[in-house]
Amino acid sequence: MKNLILLSLLFNFSICFSQSEQLIPQNAITVFSINNLNLLQKISMDDLVKYDFMEEVHQELFDGSTSGKTLKDAGIDFNQRLNVFYGKTDDYEVSGFTFGVSNSSLLFEVFDDFTELKSNYKDVKEYGSFFNNLILKNNSALLIRIEPTAESIDRKTDSIWYSRGNEYPYGGMYDEEPLFDEEFDEGDFDFEEYEAEEPSAPEEEEEEELNEDPLFYFDSTDISNEDFSEASEDLNEKNYYELRDSVQLELQQYLLTQLLNDLFINNLTLLSIDPRFSEQLTHQCAGTFYLDNSRSFQQANGLWYFQTVMPSLYNDIKELYTGNVILGDLILNDKSLEFLVEARYGEKLGSIYQEMNDSKFDNNITKYIHKNSPAYFTYNVNLRKAYDKAYEVIMPIISAEKNADIAMNVLALELMNELINKDALFDTYKGSMFGTFNGIKKIKTKKIDYKYDEITFEYNETEVDAIEDMPIFSLGFSIDRHDIPEIILKNFSRLTSKFEKHDNYWVFNNAILDAAPLYMINKNNLFILTNDEDLAINHSDGYGPDQLGRKVRKEIKRNGFMNGYLDISGTLNRFPNDLLSERRSELINSLKGKSGKMYLKSAKTTTKITKFEMSYKFNGEENSGKHLLDVINTLYIFSK
Amino acid sequence: MNRVFYIFALILFFLSSCIELIDDLTIHNDGSGTFKYIMNLSSSKIKVNSILALDSIDGKKVPSMAEIKTKLMSFAANLKTQPGISNVSMQINDFDLIVNFSCDFKTVGEFQSGFKSAITLINKEETIDALKESWISWDGRVLKRNIPILSLQILEGFKEGELDLLKTGSYTSINRFDRPIEKAEKLETKLNPAKTASMLRVNTFDLQKNHLLIENTIYLTPIKIK
Repeated sequence: MKNLILLSLLFNFSICFSQSEQLIPQNAITVFSINNLNLLQKISMDDLVKYDFMEEVHQELFDGSTSGKTLKDAGIDFNQRLNVFYGKTDDYEVSGFTFGVSNSSLLFEVFDDFTELKSNYKDVKEYGSFFNNLILKNNSALLIRIEPTAESIDRKTDSIWYSRGNEYPYGGMYDEEPLFDEEFDEGDFDFEEYEAEEPSAPEEEEEEELNEDPLFYFDSTDISNEDFSEASEDLNEKNYYELRDSVQLELQQYLLTQLLNDLFINNLTLLSIDPRFSEQLTHQCAGTFYLDNSRSFQQANGLWYFQTVMPSLYNDIKELYTGNVILGDLILNDKSLEFLVEARYGEKLGSIYQEMNDSKFDNNITKYIHKNSPAYFTYNVNLRKAYDKAYEVIMPIISAEKNADIAMNVLALELMNELINKDALFDTYKGSMFGTFNGIKKIKTKKIDYKYDEITFEYNETEVDAIEDMPIFSLGFSIDRHDIPEIILKNFSRLTSKFEKHDNYWVFNNAILDAAPLYMINKNNLFILTNDEDLAINHSDGYGPDQLGRKVRKEIKRNGFMNGYLDISGTLNRFPNDLLSERRSELINSLKGKSGKMYLKSAKTTTKITKFEMSYKFNGEENSGKHLLDVINTLYIFSK
Repeated sequence: MNRVFYIFALILFFLSSCIELIDDLTIHNDGSGTFKYIMNLSSSKIKVNSILALDSIDGKKVPSMAEIKTKLMSFAANLKTQPGISNVSMQINDFDLIVNFSCDFKTVGEFQSGFKSAITLINKEETIDALKESWISWDGRVLKRNIPILSLQILEGFKEGELDLLKTGSYTSINRFDRPIEKAEKLETKLNPAKTASMLRVNTFDLQKNHLLIENTIYLTPIKIK
């Protein structure tokens, strides 16, 4: 019995006194917490450090100065959680991670770019490098980067700059001509109107950063000395950019001090201020996820004007978002992992969500999903109910605002509400929809061929049929008013011969990338857009016995508003990467080679919460920890 | 190399599963002639348009169709200013993705140097090593030629699997003369019945592996003095 109590105490000790999470700043909006104890007992460190997300950690930790060393050598305590966080306020962004330390000597063998700073806090040691700060308290560490926002630095710099009697500092900055300022029409080129580029003296090598918009390209050599005349007359006085650098540095230091005061004097951490987060950390799982949507809403770009000009409306809208948080648990099983997510929100917003998601599942949808479809989703909502509820909740808020623009908008909304035929509108677009990916298929296109005369070798252009690979997608919407799309399509077909009506479908030729046809099926209470010729021609009433199985259909009906399925080997492994942007391609590559299946479903929505569950089931030799890390890696790449 | 051309070449590479390239060179007895060049991507429209819709490939910004057209037009305009070059025409069919270029020249030497100067100009005077090499020579009886524009160097950085995409593309090189051809160095060269034109066709995949496949030397019969 004593042993049991002792074991229990030890176990609780490891949970309750895992201190790394106590160093997460209160301003963290997003936290991903990995329970190393669970995870790393199944994963070798050598494998771990190969991941992209660890590579980033390596960059942060080792700063390139200790090549060949790994996290193993860093004195990190893997019995504590590793918490990666990010936060943003109006004035600064903060990011970093907290972790346990088992051997501080080893830690500083690899953290050799950090120098010790004077600490004003009891039992706390502070270290600084060029960009980051490392804070050590007991057996835990906080690696942090705090960056004042450009707007905040500009505001303060401008204030000091102008108060010193200086003038506008940016003269001559944006004079660069755009690279391409002429558009060409197709066809023959008219040389009378176009001047050739004259040979010119060799220029500096062209800027290779191609992502830069030439319109905003700034070459510092363009600034004449006059731009800094006010400051440069007195060599002891800083010019604008020197002043800005100083302001940035001071702000950085000030903000860091504030943050550390909160952490170590006021005991204000995310753990202490948000009971939802602290409760989440008590869950026995491999990792937890926290995203405070209410605060990310407040910090969203573009709300500054709203906040300044209509503060009361902003506060009312903010109130709507109060309590809006997403919490998630990652659970490891032998051959699967589960991601349990709770979206929590306030009652007002929740009442809109509840109405929106209170919708009977449209049975027609599953008829158009093939039983072998490698990926699909269904989304089942009632837009009409959501509209009515949103009108009821939001209109009183915006009507109360005493602002001429808002008043006009309220008038317009009220008139539209009265005059528009809402029945027709929401019977045309009801809100429910589905999407499928049916693999890569050969589709017919047209190409130009050059035919040679064997006697003269002259050649002529002829248009012939061609075949190209294309991902096959379908997207369908629930509809009760088939006549409305018919009106639109009928009139489009008068405008262009590219629209053709067939018995069971419409086709818009060359609609996709100027090459492939888009089919539209407007029947059975669905309006479906697809590039799947087989679906349009042979299955316009659905796949019949080849539709999704009865068990799956029942499951989808029973779940909440959202369902999804993805067979990784059938989808991602077959997806043509060269059709994707670099980042998306990287994301797909991170999952390629896997053979698992992902399922997503939501539970019924209440006024307070909607629960989601994503499960990832896999076969093969790899253990669940490996798969978990793969998923984390994918999330990391996705969020980069 | 200029970024637009680099990306354009990348696009060509990715899409060359069915790229068709034709160069058609006519040389008269007096050394003047006409050069036509056709780039046909119509059988890869979906891929080309997908790539043009992207922001970047391989870390490089993907130019818009308008930017590509501007660059090609700029090349044509520069070529027009070169001595000995006339009747420059650049037609771009951006629906079917076909570029059709042609020009006349007074001498083969002026043609080659005009081409090099025009490419250098649109590359902001940047030195391009590939342009230092001579890719065409003509002494009145013997025509020695290779691929008119660099581009294959770019493919050297690509992986084996990616190069497979080139397997169904073709490069056709046609040469026309006022008098009969005596012989062509490449045995695969086809001659027309009158022997005044030759055609050599190679696979773009093979061409990438061996740049010399399209290199050819054509010997003409001597000019008959009346």
